[in-house]
Parts: sequence; C-alpha cells; structure tokens
Amino acid sequence: MEDAQVVAALIRRCIAGDAAAWEEIVQRYHRRIYNICYRFSGSGDDAQDLTQDVFLRMYKTLNSYDLERGAFMTWVTTITRNLLVDHFRKSKHDRMTDSLDTPVSEHEDAMPLSSQIQDKALPPDARVQSRETSETVHQALQKLSPELREAVILRDLQDMDYKDIANVLKVPEGTVKSRINRGRAELARLLQRTYRQVM
Amino acid sequence: MPGESKNGMQCTEFDALLTEALDGTLEGANLERFQAHARVCSVCGPLFAEVDAGRRLLMSLEEAEPPAHLVHNILAATSGLDTARMRVPGTALVQPSWIDQLRAWISPVFQPVLGVLRQPRFAMSFGMAFFSLSMALNLAGVKLADLKQVDLHPSALVRGYHMTSGKVVKYYENIRFVYQIESKVRDIKRATTPAEPAPDKDRRRKDNGNTSERPEPRQERNYSQGENQPILASLPDAPLVVPVTTARRFV
Repeated sequence: MEDAQVVAALIRRCIAGDAAAWEEIVQRYHRRIYNICYRFSGSGDDAQDLTQDVFLRMYKTLNSYDLERGAFMTWVTTITRNLLVDHFRKSKHDRMTDSLDTPVSEHEDAMPLSSQIQDKALPPDARVQSRETSETVHQALQKLSPELREAVILRDLQDMDYKDIANVLKVPEGTVKSRINRGRAELARLLQRTYRQVM
Repeated sequence: MPGESKNGMQCTEFDALLTEALDGTLEGANLERFQAHARVCSVCGPLFAEVDAGRRLLMSLEEAEPPAHLVHNILAATSGLDTARMRVPGTALVQPSWIDQLRAWISPVFQPVLGVLRQPRFAMSFGMAFFSLSMALNLAGVKLADLKQVDLHPSALVRGYHMTSGKVVKYYENIRFVYQIESKVRDIKRATTPAEPAPDKDRRRKDNGNTSERPEPRQERNYSQGENQPILASLPDAPLVVPVTTARRFV
C-alpha cells in the first residue's frame, strides 16, 4: 500500500474513532512538525508548545480534511504555518523584526544583521566544530525575515516541492522561488560577515 | 545590473532559472547560457555563489530531536488519554464525550451567572457560607466520605426507612419498660418500708404541762383564727391615745 493510501486509511480510522490510528498519526508527523516549529521559532520550548497546538487543531478539524483536495502533509504544514504566523504576531518579535503582513522591502537583502549575532559568534580559535556551525546557522536563520525563513525551511529543511510550498504559503510559485533564493543568499551573507569578523 | 543582457540572457531570466540550476533540473542550451552569464555578470555571478552557499549551509542542518515526552503530551492534550490507553483500538477519540457536549451546551447559559458569582464580594459570601456549613456538618458528625456510600436506590431507601422506624419503636419500648420497672421497684419499696409512727399520746401525758423543752411558740400567732378565716385589721385592747396639741385661746 502506498504512503498516501496508508495515510488516507489512517485518517478514515481516526475519524471513525480509532484511538490507535490517531496515535499513529501523531507518531508519524510529530518529528516533522516539531522541526518546522523549532527552526522557525528558534526555541525548543516554543516549538514543543506549538507542536502540541498543531496537533490539537488537527484533532479538532480532522473531519474537515478532504482527501481529494491535497496531500495530508500539505494540509498539516498549512496548519503549522498558520499557527506559526499567529505565534509570530503575538510574540515580542513583532516589534523586533518585520511583520508577515509587511511587504518585503527592496533593501531587505542588504540588512546589516551580522552585527546582531556578533555576541553569538564562534570562539576565535582554530576550526569551527560542526555542532557550533549548526548552531550559528540556526541562529542566523532567526535573523531572516519571516517570509524568507518559512520559504527556506519548507524547501531546504523539509524538502517540499515548490507547488506544495506555494499552496501552503498561498503565493505563486515564482514568488516562492524568489523568496527561497533571497533567503539562501541572505543567510550566506550573514554567516560570511560573521566569520569575517571573527577571523 | 538587473535587466542587463549578457550572453543572450538577462539578469531577470538568470534569477528565474536560479532555482532550477541549483536543483540540477536545468539542461541543454539554457544551462550553457546560464553558466556563461554567471561567469561574466558582476551581480549574478556572486549571487549564484551566495545562494548556493546558503543552500548548502541550510542542508547541513541536522534534524532536531524532539523531546521524549512530546508524543505523550500531545496525546494527553488531544485525546486526554494516556498512551497505554491509546493503544486500545476502538476507543472513541475524535467524537467528544457526552459530558463535553453537555458542558458545551450548558456553558453559554450559565456563563453570565457564573461571571457575576465570581465577583469578589459574592465569592467571599460563598466562602463564608461554605465554611459555616462545613463547620456545622463537622459538629453534627456528618462526614462527606460517608455520603458516597449511601445507596439511593428506591428499595434501599424503603429498607432504610423501615429500619429507622423499627429502631425508634424499639427505643421507645425499652424506655417504657425501664419506667415500668422503676415504678414497680418504687411500689415494692413503699410496701416494705414500715409506716411512720403516729404522734405519741403517752408522751403528751408525761409532759404534765411542762413546756420548757418545747420550742417557744410564735407570739404573733393567732390561735383562735381558723385557717380559712381572713385576718382583719384590729385595734389593740387599750384605747388609743392620740396626743393632740391644741392651741390655747387666750381671750
């Protein structure tokens, strides 16, 4: 049985009241949802709360999911993204970074963000360890604007195709590609400046 | 510069093909034109390098490990059941229980009332009332834990009524029996105790009119007066002398 059919069967069983089916859905998707939340929010605690919220909303609205309208993963990611947007609006980052509703400015690429992550820079000794690099990249990711961040997370970390990302973000595919490229470039620039300052 | 044409490709077109080139889906003449433009364009060349570097950095990020108790927390938050219970198939999950439905139905009705009752002044009054009631119940010896064991079935209630009335009747009969016994004992005592001797006439004779040992009779006592005669006010035997002072008239 293919994955989509397995998921469809799970959903049908779950709607029929099978507790084991719901647990299997949770087991199947919690890791992926947690990672999206963690990479977007930057905090493990927030990611945990957000993941619970995502499943709570899934649990309440599972009846409304239409198997023919799209993949279950896209539906789940859309719920996750909507909750992340809500979380972002409520959080203090509202005042510190751009709002999701604010159109991306043309000067966005030139944001001098490297100064903001100076204190989180690597120690000025020899080689940078792999774990420290990951941490630096993770922190640099938080400095991206929300539009660019969510686009690169879904593409490069969750390996979603452009069409699904466009469905989740509700923007054209061309915009998705543009955001992904700008996000990647800005991240590289940020880290390049950081390393340059450290070295 | 954006929009500048180099090697038959404008920078906007280069930008549009950037994702395909990085994904490896760009082929043939388009790929050659793309690579040629990247080599000569001072803007697009570095841009391509940056985007590629950013992509590699992002893909180097490892998957974050979720907390071990996350699944348990999710299941507890969603279905309210423990993981072990969740493994039992056939348990109703998505459909809310009838208690939840009832609560959801009642909540809008009682919410305004509860909102008023939650005000501090009412809360204080309810707190005092509860405290007084609990004190009274404690003093009366009523324990709430005992109430849980009360059987409220109709048959049990009837049985309880009969048992209680039987106890009352039995208690009354016992009390009556005790009183009857006490009464009999009193009668027996009265019958067995010798009667009190009557006033001795011989002793009166022996006195011979000697009244020295008798108690002094009260002087004010009116012996001639019968018990039922009223006591009238009277004057003493001697005529009352009223001193009258008259003023002499000297003519």
